[in-house]
Amino acid sequence: MQKWFSAFDDAIIQRQWRANPSRGGGGVSFTKEVDTNVATGAPPRRQRVPGRACPWREPIRGRRGARPGGGDAGGTPGETVRHCSAPEDPIFRFSSLHSYPFPGTIKSRDMSWKRHHLIPETFGVKRRRKRGPVESDPLRGEPGSARAAVSELMQLFPRGLFEDALPPIVLRSQVYSLVPDRTVADRQLKELQEQGEIRIVQLGFDLDAHGIIFTEDYRTRVLKACDGRPYAGAVQKFLASVLPACGDLSFQQDQMTQTFGFRDSEITHLVNAGVLTVRDAGSWWLAVPGAGRFIKYFVKGRQAVLGMVRKAKYRELLLSELLGRRAPVVVRLGLTYHVHDLIGAQLVDCISTTSGTLLRLPET
Amino acid sequence: MLGFLSARQTGLEDPLRLRRAESTRRVLGLELNKDRDVERIHGGGINTLDIEPVEGRYMLSGGSDGVIVLYDLENSSRQSYYTCKAVCSIGRDHPDVHRYSVETVQWYPHDTGMFTSSSFDKTLKVWDTNTLQTADVFNFEETVYSHHMSPVSTKHCLVAVGTRGPKVQLCDLKSGSCSHILQGHRQEILAVSWSPRYDYILATASADSRVKLWDVRRASGCLITLDQHNGKKSQAVESANTAHNGKVNGLCFTSDGLHLLTVGTDNRMRLWNSSNGENTLLTGQARSLTPVIPALWEAEVNYGKVCNNSKKGLKFTVSCGCSSEFVFVPYGSTIAVYTVYSGEQITMLKGHYKTVDCCVFQSNFQELYSGSRDCNILAWVPSLYEPVPDDDETTTKSQLNPAFEDAWSSSDEEG
Repeated sequence: MQKWFSAFDDAIIQRQWRANPSRGGGGVSFTKEVDTNVATGAPPRRQRVPGRACPWREPIRGRRGARPGGGDAGGTPGETVRHCSAPEDPIFRFSSLHSYPFPGTIKSRDMSWKRHHLIPETFGVKRRRKRGPVESDPLRGEPGSARAAVSELMQLFPRGLFEDALPPIVLRSQVYSLVPDRTVADRQLKELQEQGEIRIVQLGFDLDAHGIIFTEDYRTRVLKACDGRPYAGAVQKFLASVLPACGDLSFQQDQMTQTFGFRDSEITHLVNAGVLTVRDAGSWWLAVPGAGRFIKYFVKGRQAVLGMVRKAKYRELLLSELLGRRAPVVVRLGLTYHVHDLIGAQLVDCISTTSGTLLRLPET
Repeated sequence: MLGFLSARQTGLEDPLRLRRAESTRRVLGLELNKDRDVERIHGGGINTLDIEPVEGRYMLSGGSDGVIVLYDLENSSRQSYYTCKAVCSIGRDHPDVHRYSVETVQWYPHDTGMFTSSSFDKTLKVWDTNTLQTADVFNFEETVYSHHMSPVSTKHCLVAVGTRGPKVQLCDLKSGSCSHILQGHRQEILAVSWSPRYDYILATASADSRVKLWDVRRASGCLITLDQHNGKKSQAVESANTAHNGKVNGLCFTSDGLHLLTVGTDNRMRLWNSSNGENTLLTGQARSLTPVIPALWEAEVNYGKVCNNSKKGLKFTVSCGCSSEFVFVPYGSTIAVYTVYSGEQITMLKGHYKTVDCCVFQSNFQELYSGSRDCNILAWVPSLYEPVPDDDETTTKSQLNPAFEDAWSSSDEEG
């Protein structure tokens, strides 16, 4: 996740670069790496754009040893082994530097790289060396990455705004913006949910919007909120018996009365406490007490940030510029928080350009 | 690739593996090719395409002008540049042409002698291909959105028809009348599809956000209603079991029939799989047959946002014969390609000028044909090997080994 923040630094640094182009940066490092390749006396490989590379063809060309335009017709056998060699690496490192800020960037090079990325798998040839620098990047979906994304996003939540009465809430769409593969992210979140580490809560404004809260935070906040109130007993019973047992978003009438032994009066207490919200007759959503304020700020802030992009010329904004602007008063949760949500919910398209990541409203 | 060939030759590997790997590679390289074209006949948008399953040679297209055209896809000229010509068409001057827009066409699954077409003029027509006459017409009370005939069935000739009414009608081609009505949906039926695995299983998708699976032999209601929350959420209220949060526009079974993809106007695409396909027919009981597919639940695959603004059905398709199957979904004026089981978006095929309405996959040559409202049918062909670009001459010349430099001088005088 370090790289992610460094990407924000990159975004800010890039704005400074425009004023001061003589400073070193990504462009310079690119040529530097090319130079080292030539210096080693390796067979001079062309600096091919990765999208046009056909990785599965490398071994054939390597074995033949005769390169078009290459001088060493004899071609040392040792070199033929270097299938996916260094010339590809700096390009990948370069292009992946650009895609680090928001991994879900749309880029034609990336797209065709992804297509060709599937080809070696089908042909059974493992391209470990080529994928090395890419896989070491934590954003590319390591096993623990959804958890790391959630912890990192929790840092963005403004606790002080709610006087610490609300546990930090993160949205599922924000996790998608950090973990590019949605299916993997969903699976990892489900694992975390089953282990009991996080609770997923339905935020009322959108059927798809799920909030993610650490169970411990939720428990402490709820207990603090219901301290000394008449419904404290029911809430404590709920937290003790139902929360660890049932990891779902919603609860049914028969589940509550038979399995967990709640009386109707106790269920009414829970609704009054804000722990349960009525869904329809006989079923309830799990809820966070006091989340109404959060949802109000969130919806207003999301519309405001989208409006910033919409009002821009051509309905697109550089990410660095958006983050550098002063947040409108309506945006109480922070621009970064909302930008993550917009990208993950695909309400803006993320396009990687030479000036950084560009956020553009989709045409439809 | 050479490794695969030699392994196949020596018998180390199954020949199917090479075939699948090569099919997948070709599908990944789909793009527009200037050498391949489809003749433009339609004057209105193209609503539906179908390639015959027997040879994969002939393609039917139905347009919003009511015209049906039959194309020959095979390239029998010896040149690489080829336009798929229209063999024949049922144009506006034909006496039996549909009066309004044709919504679905389908070849008869077992040979190309017959095809069916349904249209907004509330009819389903059965055509004889050779004479281009209607062999039969089924009339309905409401406009027909979609119809489908089972591709694998040998025991029945039922055509399932989805109309603007909430009832799914099954028409029997042998007897020429509607034999069944399936009740259960509440709004118009936007898509119907028979399972490619079981003769009697039918899936229907409706504007009331529900997808129902039926066994047509059963007298009682549907087998299952697909529930996006996998039955975990609101079981108290049966009416809340919806497959999507909006209208369900499109249905497609994977080629093995074990998975079902649905697309809805909530901009989502969902994958459903069956738990086990075993036939649990109870012996010795005179009661009705037990369902073949005991349960169907949603596979946890997230495709992201799949934009869907269509008010009618959306016809999308799944590849067949690749190692990892791909689904091609019309997405605005492009076609989005996803891997089915991992949800990864591979690419967006851009080429149409207006909204794409339908696409079909030709599995013999791994080609994709798509029709859109700009009256064009585009052919997406696997790109051949890219020629090695020779922009490296200038950089490598300096690295040329002096032993290989020629000592000739280029000037005549000095020699």
